[in-house]
Amino acid sequence: MKNQVRDLRGGQGWSQADLAERLDVSRQTVNAIETGKYDPSLPLAFKIARLFGQPIEAIFEPD
Amino acid sequence: MARFSERRYRSQMAVAMVAYMAAMLLVWPLSRTAASVPLKVLLAVVPVLPMLFVIGLMARRISASDEFEQRVHLLALGASTALLGALSLVGGFLAAAGVLRLDGTILIWVFPVTMIGYGIARWWLLVRHYGGSTGCDGASLRWQLGLLVGLVLMVLAVAWWRGQLSDFQAGLLIGMAPAALVVLALALWRRLRRASGED
Repeated sequence: MKNQVRDLRGGQGWSQADLAERLDVSRQTVNAIETGKYDPSLPLAFKIARLFGQPIEAIFEPD
Repeated sequence: MARFSERRYRSQMAVAMVAYMAAMLLVWPLSRTAASVPLKVLLAVVPVLPMLFVIGLMARRISASDEFEQRVHLLALGASTALLGALSLVGGFLAAAGVLRLDGTILIWVFPVTMIGYGIARWWLLVRHYGGSTGCDGASLRWQLGLLVGLVLMVLAVAWWRGQLSDFQAGLLIGMAPAALVVLALALWRRLRRASGED
């Protein structure tokens, strides 16, 4: 899946470590999601969507 | 479950490794000369106790990881187990055919080989497949090197206390040499990468 996580994080001025702390995951996990190498589970995707105040489909879209 | 900090993991691992080395140096050699079988059994399995603690520590670390880390841990453990299973099958069939002569002591290598395979597979998944880093930073390498130096000093201290370096103690030192070389090679590789990045 493609996603807008990197752009949204950049918009907030957060580092990968900042976002990782807010999501309670590792920095490696944030990096893998941002590069599209790893698709998060539904609970984590909802957590990301809630954090950025956007619906899931605005952040994640299928290839 | 609360995340398991790397610092906590390292400190508990260090305690387990020191306990393992102490058991190997001070308790396990007594099993060879113990008169009764129950005592021999008891002394022979003492070094297993710290290793059981390490296995429990790894289980806690994995269960406290996030979903991506758990995926990497379990894929790496699966790959390592499959490799060891295949090697065991080949070795077992060759031994049964009389091509190889293997005795029971080879079982001691099952756990270390599994861990080495797990480490390599985890590195490959994190760095090559997912394009991240292993979290093997300078502090981690310094910690690993410090632990190795501490374990070597333990062996040398016991040899000095007993007035001789036995074959067994020399074997322990030789066994730790590849680990020290790997850590030093990683430190050198990191330094070279950093230097080329600064150019």
